[in-house]
Amino acid sequence: MIYAAIVFLPLAGALIAGLFGRVIGDRPSEIITTAFLMIAAVLSWVVFVQVGLGHETREITLMRWITSGELDVSWALKIDTLTSVMLVVVTTVSSLVHLYSIGYMHEDDSRPRFFAYLSLFTFAMLMLVTSGNLVQMFFGWEGVGLASYLLIGFWYKKPEANAAAIKAFIVNRVGDFGFSLGVFGLFFVFHTVNLDALFAAAPSAVGKTFSFAGYEVDILTTLSLLLFVGAMGKSAQFLLHTWLPDAMEGPTPVSALIHAATMVTAGVFMVARLSPIFELAPNALIVVTFIGAITAFFAATVGLVQNDIKRVIAYSTCSQLGYMFVACGIGAYGVGIFHLFTHAFFKALLFLGAGSVIHAMHHEQDMRAMGGLRRKIPWTFAAMLIGTLALTGVGIPHLAGFAGFYSKDAIIEAAYAANTPNNYAFWLLVVAALMTSFYSWRLIFMTFYGETRADHHTFDHAHESPPTMMVPLAVLSLGAVLAGLVFAPYFMGHDQSEFWGASIFRGEHNHILHEMHEVPGWVPYSSLIAMLAGFAIAWVYYIGAPWLPEATARTFRPLYLFLLNKWYFDELYNLIFVRPAFAIGRFLWKGGDGAVIDGAIDGTAAGVVRVTDRVVKLQTGYMYHYAFAMLIGVAAILTWLTYNGLFGGVLK
Amino acid sequence: MDSSVLYVVAPELILAIGAISLLMLGVFTSNGEAAGRTVTWLSIAVLIATAIAVFQGSGSSLVFGGAFVSDGFTRFLKIVILIGAALTLLMTFDNFGRAKLLQFEYPVLVLLATLGMLMMVSANDLIALYLGLELQSLALYVIAAFKRDDVQSSEAGLKYFVLGALSSGMLLYGASMLYGVTGSTSYATIAAAATIPEMSTNIGLTFGLVFVLVGLAFKVAAVPFHMWTPDVYQGAPTPVTAFFAGAPKIAAMALLLRFTQAALPGIAPQWQQIVIFLAIASMVLGSFAAIGQNNIKRLLAYSSIGNVGFALIGLAANNTEGTAGVLIYLVIYVAMTLGAFACVLAMQRNGRNVESISDLSGLAKTNLTFATILAVLMFSLAGIPPLAGFWAKWYVFLPAIKAGLYPLSVIGVVTSVVGAYYYLRVVKIMFFDETAEGFSPPEGRTFAVMALSAAFVVAFVLPFVGGTVVDAATAAASVLVPAHP
Amino acid sequence: MMDLTSQYLPIAIFIGVALFIGGALMVAPFLVAVRNPDPEKVSAYECGFNAFDDARMKFDVRFYLVSILFIIFDLEIAFLFPWAAAFREIGVFGFWSMMVFLGVLTIGFIYEWKKGALEWD
Repeated sequence: MIYAAIVFLPLAGALIAGLFGRVIGDRPSEIITTAFLMIAAVLSWVVFVQVGLGHETREITLMRWITSGELDVSWALKIDTLTSVMLVVVTTVSSLVHLYSIGYMHEDDSRPRFFAYLSLFTFAMLMLVTSGNLVQMFFGWEGVGLASYLLIGFWYKKPEANAAAIKAFIVNRVGDFGFSLGVFGLFFVFHTVNLDALFAAAPSAVGKTFSFAGYEVDILTTLSLLLFVGAMGKSAQFLLHTWLPDAMEGPTPVSALIHAATMVTAGVFMVARLSPIFELAPNALIVVTFIGAITAFFAATVGLVQNDIKRVIAYSTCSQLGYMFVACGIGAYGVGIFHLFTHAFFKALLFLGAGSVIHAMHHEQDMRAMGGLRRKIPWTFAAMLIGTLALTGVGIPHLAGFAGFYSKDAIIEAAYAANTPNNYAFWLLVVAALMTSFYSWRLIFMTFYGETRADHHTFDHAHESPPTMMVPLAVLSLGAVLAGLVFAPYFMGHDQSEFWGASIFRGEHNHILHEMHEVPGWVPYSSLIAMLAGFAIAWVYYIGAPWLPEATARTFRPLYLFLLNKWYFDELYNLIFVRPAFAIGRFLWKGGDGAVIDGAIDGTAAGVVRVTDRVVKLQTGYMYHYAFAMLIGVAAILTWLTYNGLFGGVLK
Repeated sequence: MDSSVLYVVAPELILAIGAISLLMLGVFTSNGEAAGRTVTWLSIAVLIATAIAVFQGSGSSLVFGGAFVSDGFTRFLKIVILIGAALTLLMTFDNFGRAKLLQFEYPVLVLLATLGMLMMVSANDLIALYLGLELQSLALYVIAAFKRDDVQSSEAGLKYFVLGALSSGMLLYGASMLYGVTGSTSYATIAAAATIPEMSTNIGLTFGLVFVLVGLAFKVAAVPFHMWTPDVYQGAPTPVTAFFAGAPKIAAMALLLRFTQAALPGIAPQWQQIVIFLAIASMVLGSFAAIGQNNIKRLLAYSSIGNVGFALIGLAANNTEGTAGVLIYLVIYVAMTLGAFACVLAMQRNGRNVESISDLSGLAKTNLTFATILAVLMFSLAGIPPLAGFWAKWYVFLPAIKAGLYPLSVIGVVTSVVGAYYYLRVVKIMFFDETAEGFSPPEGRTFAVMALSAAFVVAFVLPFVGGTVVDAATAAASVLVPAHP
Repeated sequence: MMDLTSQYLPIAIFIGVALFIGGALMVAPFLVAVRNPDPEKVSAYECGFNAFDDARMKFDVRFYLVSILFIIFDLEIAFLFPWAAAFREIGVFGFWSMMVFLGVLTIGFIYEWKKGALEWD
């Protein structure tokens, strides 16, 4: 019951606020949705304690959904440790974002709609993480996509917001197509979509091949890769990442909830959830690792030069998701999920903090127009500082540190232990950590330090946000500080196998968790050094010698532009996909639809009128015409029958 | 002569004697309008009495040397014809009363025409066929021109008469050819002669068949022998048009059914081709030509042409289900047509009837009941399920498909879609266009026919309404087993 | 087919002869008659006085009515002749059939009489 309550309370909130929001008013809508989410969050923690720490797992069937031939799908809640972790992350962040939104959105006209969307999103996400079969997961998968689309385009009067929403939706379609192909493939091979049955059947398919797109390919590798394409879309991985930065057009709480803590992590969750399948496809895992490492590096480089405060954090998210995929790719699923867990706290904190800054600056998002805000909004500054410390992974090896320190450094160590070719994963992640540190501190310095670059009016009126916004910041700050310290032992320490139970599968040759503790002594310090180096460079650039960034940009102008334009991915896609698509669309519209279809239909209609006119003209009113018509009819029938009789039945 | 013959022809006798008596009654009554009113009521009574007499009949009997047949098939159709004629008489009072046309000759002529129809239905011999047909036609020619001082009505009567005479001539010519080839006017003998294999290519037989079919096609107004229909329907007084659109078509259809299946089963492939041609031509023209019409009577004329095309599909199938389909189609068609013409009769403003489709504009706002009834009838004519019109088409298309007449069925479906356009246009005009001046409230008897028709159309989907009709039609059709060679 | 044609041969010959004679008589005046027209000769002829107006005047519709009524009874007589000639063979059924026919005709006659169709004014 408690599980159903967690999942369906947000839905109830969404329906109430969405359908009756206008009737019951703005404030009640906010209160109802937020209260429901808070209840769900509290229940989630209860479940987390029960399941994660008390090791109960269960599967609850709510009702049958589809029974068609071999396809047997039920609405079911699969509750195990992995699910409970996701429940905690989703409901906690979501409830805090709801609370925060009460303050952040208080000037907006359509708040019930906003809260309905938020709750709807939460419901879909919960559906995704609790599903016991792939079809229900796909339902949640698409549900979050829909809610994301609605929320990115929430300010639908802004053309950029609409464009961003459509872009997010379409790029996600690419991934979803892969995901659905993967689901079809799994059903095709194993005749079931239920996870437990799939996991039981998967080992039997190792090494077997089937025909896909005309090639004989390995079943599990192919299907895993298809599923991973879905994960890439949802989690904004390299090549399918372009929608995430643009999604920042949505309201900031949305960015915190969807584009930092929950939806974008769905891909990581899915890979971890399907670990029994991925583990059997080592080649697919190599691809996962590679894509993850590239994303971590690539997004960090772009983050270096962005000026929009939210975009910096967005690229940071993209980069951190890359870390998580690396962890999954090398078999350290628990570590990946742990990073997901801690990242949810500090990244939501950073987004909400950024939201607070934007709120204070009257919706100014460009960091070049900020600066010196430290004294104006000290509490926000403190929260952002904690978020940055957590993100950059500040901590003392073998002792203690902020949340990111535990999870991120663990991934870096595991990457070293995984022994990738030339250790590329390890080095990419270390460099990415350096850059993470640089752009994070750059954000802090540009926003809070130095002389202000904002106009006087805005700066003078900059003010601390209301309590509804500050309380979530405080709670998340607490999480950012403590999440690593408290939960590390469970997620990846000595209690991990007991903690995860059967929810994460590791192949018999997978000893990554053991090996990551046996890396050379300098490895844990590598990330610390990278972090400190990043901090130092940022200090020199933005505090010590403020003229230096511009000089650097001038000196290395091509590189700067390359990064500023995000490796020209948007332009490339525009050239390869968007323009041809538009051209095809325009051709089909003008040529196909306009000329052929409309032409045929309009032509038919016009033809009907013309035929009608002719027929009516035949009706002259003269009797001899009528008699003539009758005689022609007789003659025609006689001729036909005579000839037909001669040449043998043509009609019959 | 056996006196039991009189029992077999009792309905016709009642009708004939009734018509003659009422003629005498009318002519000896001095007050013209009172005579008209009384005779009309008594005519309805005679029709009902005839119907009761038809009900009394049972079994199959052939009398007058096999020229006159009475069986389940004829009884079913006679009942429908009698009901149709009675309802049209019921609708005349108001309209004719206002036009000073309420004269006793009209109901007597309707009775005589109906007598002709009954004889057509029962005809089992070319001479009986012709006698019935001419009795019906002559009466109809007169009532088409019944509004003597109206140019349009006179023109309608004259056109109908001249073209009808032409078609009668053709029919007689064909009948004489059949007689020449087979040596008999009896259906049974013709059938026996035509079944001989070498006869199937006999040119005389083919010519005879074509000319008789053409004569009958004229009576049912199948394309290209339909040209008189729009002019006559528009010109004749509306109650007369309502009568034309109903009962005579049933009688002519019955004649077609029996003639083709009882007299010429041996050359079925040949007449099937003609029927298919007539069906296609009628459906296509009926649906396309109606689109351009502004006068609702003319619209209904084209509608009736199209409907005949659909009914002919069942005949083209040439099997018992097809025949049953035709019968069901006729019943539903008559119900819908009577209702539609009742609506046309009710379209009156300041004591004058209006006939333009634009006069219906915005009717839903001034008289919702009227608009709803007409809309239901239009939806049914368009063949929208679950109304009766849909089932009518269903029961003719199904046997055609079973008989492998796919092109015919496809054309039928396509043309019924085209036809739906102009039916639905009427609905659109009534419900969505600017409101025109409202109509006077419908007269009670006319309204009763409207409501009855709409109720039938809606209730047809119920088993005890539609099921009864379908069962009766199927039983009637089973009598007329095509004697396959 | 052959014998059918030969049976009709006399008729065909008769029609041919009739056509020839008729045609010859019509064509002959054009060829042989003396033509010398003057106004008196080509004007319409009325006995004793000059023509009042065009000879192609409209007749009163009552002439048609009377002629149609006459035709009905004419036909009645035409039916009566064969009936009378075959009276012995057709027996009671034949007798009553003709009586019914006459009865119906009489009804029609009463109707037209009562309607005043037989009165000139």
